[in-house]
Amino acid sequence: MNGAAPTSFDTWLSARADGEVGAGLDWLEAQRRSALDQVREQGVPGTKQEAWRYTSLKRLIEQGFARVEDEVTALQLHDFEELLIPELDSHRVVMVNGRFTPSLSALGDLPRGVRVTGLRALLSSDPDALRERLNGVAGESQPLFAALNTAGLDDGLVVLLDRGAILERPIELIHLSVGMDEPRVAQPRHVVSLADGAQATLIERYVSLGESLYCTNSVLELSLGRDAVLKHDRIQVESPNAFHITGLYLSQDAGSRYVGVNIGLGAAWARTDLVTRFSGEHAECDLQGLYLAGDRQLMDYHIDVNHAVPSCSSRETFKGILYGKGRAVFDGRVVVAKDAQKTDAAMSNKNLMLSENAEVDTKPQLEINADDVKCSHGTTVGQIEPEKLFYLRSRGISAPFARRMLCLGFAEEIIDALHSDALREAVSEEVGRRLETAPLT
Amino acid sequence: MLSVKGLRANVGENEILTGLDLEVGPGEIHAIMGPNGSGKSTFSHVLSGREGYEVTAGSVTFEGQDLLALEPEERAHRGVFLAFQYPVELPGVNNTYFLKAALNSIRKARGESELDAVSFLRLIKEKLKILHLNDSLLKRAVNAGFSGGEKKRNEIFQMALLEPKLAILDETDSGLDIDALRVVADGVNALRSPERSMIVVTHYQRLLDYIEPDRVHVLAKGRIIRSGGKELALELEEKGYGWILEQEQAA
Repeated sequence: MNGAAPTSFDTWLSARADGEVGAGLDWLEAQRRSALDQVREQGVPGTKQEAWRYTSLKRLIEQGFARVEDEVTALQLHDFEELLIPELDSHRVVMVNGRFTPSLSALGDLPRGVRVTGLRALLSSDPDALRERLNGVAGESQPLFAALNTAGLDDGLVVLLDRGAILERPIELIHLSVGMDEPRVAQPRHVVSLADGAQATLIERYVSLGESLYCTNSVLELSLGRDAVLKHDRIQVESPNAFHITGLYLSQDAGSRYVGVNIGLGAAWARTDLVTRFSGEHAECDLQGLYLAGDRQLMDYHIDVNHAVPSCSSRETFKGILYGKGRAVFDGRVVVAKDAQKTDAAMSNKNLMLSENAEVDTKPQLEINADDVKCSHGTTVGQIEPEKLFYLRSRGISAPFARRMLCLGFAEEIIDALHSDALREAVSEEVGRRLETAPLT
Repeated sequence: MLSVKGLRANVGENEILTGLDLEVGPGEIHAIMGPNGSGKSTFSHVLSGREGYEVTAGSVTFEGQDLLALEPEERAHRGVFLAFQYPVELPGVNNTYFLKAALNSIRKARGESELDAVSFLRLIKEKLKILHLNDSLLKRAVNAGFSGGEKKRNEIFQMALLEPKLAILDETDSGLDIDALRVVADGVNALRSPERSMIVVTHYQRLLDYIEPDRVHVLAKGRIIRSGGKELALELEEKGYGWILEQEQAA
């Protein structure tokens, strides 16, 4: 990189050599233009803006990430075999640097009423299937990184379930990042839409080959029809030098149920926005999360739960383990509208600090405008209790091993909520492995 | 086996142990009795290496080795075991996983091979049988949500599994009803062996009805002021601690 550090995100939106997806679709081009206007309007938000109060964008923007241009074609399955979880029986979708890669995917047989495909492919074969759905949940007015994603829309995973369709095996998205000559940004856009009564499990894994520097700016739009059920696990283990951004937008109709488990372990700088809205009564939303933040790592979570209608319940349970000079932010907000009586919401954020140099800013908030609700929030920032450590050591277990056991015990509640045994085991191992080398100062 | 000489220890500014002497031979069971605040728990904790105590004088030798120079886990590796008065709850840490980690840590430190899952489960079953326990404790998190009796039984179970040379039972009878007490005492008795010494720390004589000691010591104001056979415990039960303290003051 030459010259002065970049001061805008223009490089993210440079032209692709192989052309823009869906060129000629008026509605899509209108969305892109509007998104681009929003990107320009917003500029680079500073820490005076509430959403970026604890997190500076300086480090991100200075990288001057260029848009991914070329498809990685030479890659074969055995090149990233160690990143696969063989015991996980799934419909496997592999994306490389933001591009759906059919040759590496193994979709298998899908039941009737279930469509799993790439966004790019669907925009050329059946664009009408996406017309109402693309930006249907994220909305027209978008925060910066969602707008960037829309403006730079290229590919992603699309999962569409017809009314009553039930998917037994999980869909597993492996988003693989491969380092390029210069730092690149991929902006996958995933659209998951479950019609009334449909049920599915989605597993997303963000992984990388090597320790390269890149950025993933992913947006997910999830929409659940009446009584639909979506179980959703997200495992972020990006390269230690990577930047990772997620905007998850969820819309739930009456009686639907969403259980999402977010595991954030990798990346140098990770920002996650979870935005959920209820559009029908008696829907349930369960958001859980576990993050590890070590040296030169930032884990930044923003959660926005909107109880717009009565009788819905939401749970937000996030746990963090911080070590070395790790930093984390938990900014959670539950808003209960005036008419949303009988709302049941509970938000909690617990942090385990293994070092004095680690830092967490935690701010759970409730904004309650109805009077007949059950809402609570709580936050803790603590250390490993010496008596627990002593108990284990008195049984012959070394101090480092004992610490690791206690950390895993702390994380257990969230790991246990994952929707597959194989995944639980893989995550548990990965967390243990990271803690093994975690500096305590 | 264990030799304690002139042990003095502080908690903060306060001297809690004021010159404690104790000799325990192989296979012997010693009861240490004393009123609240006499230093019973401090003594247990100093022996097992808990933080927060400052030893200012004296020595503790275990099988010829300076016990106080060792980390808590090293003491466990050499065969010291503390059954806690208040066993610690470890939510999220599976009991079986914990037991296996403990046993294998000790085996490894002793240069023995680690047990694989199958041999470990076989061993666990065997120990459960000896103690007449069922395996429901194994699937839960360590002590989490356990009743008082379950916690104490879990302590004895760990002792059975880890086979210490010196077991220190710190007020194991506290908070137990008579049935639970009997279960725990039966467990302890099943583990009596010529190679295993025990120090039974208790406030009440009651436990000694079930676990018969070779020696009884009275601890007061941080040192042992009277030692005797098991009949001393009965005398204490009858007369309380007052008379001994008075005799001690008069002397």
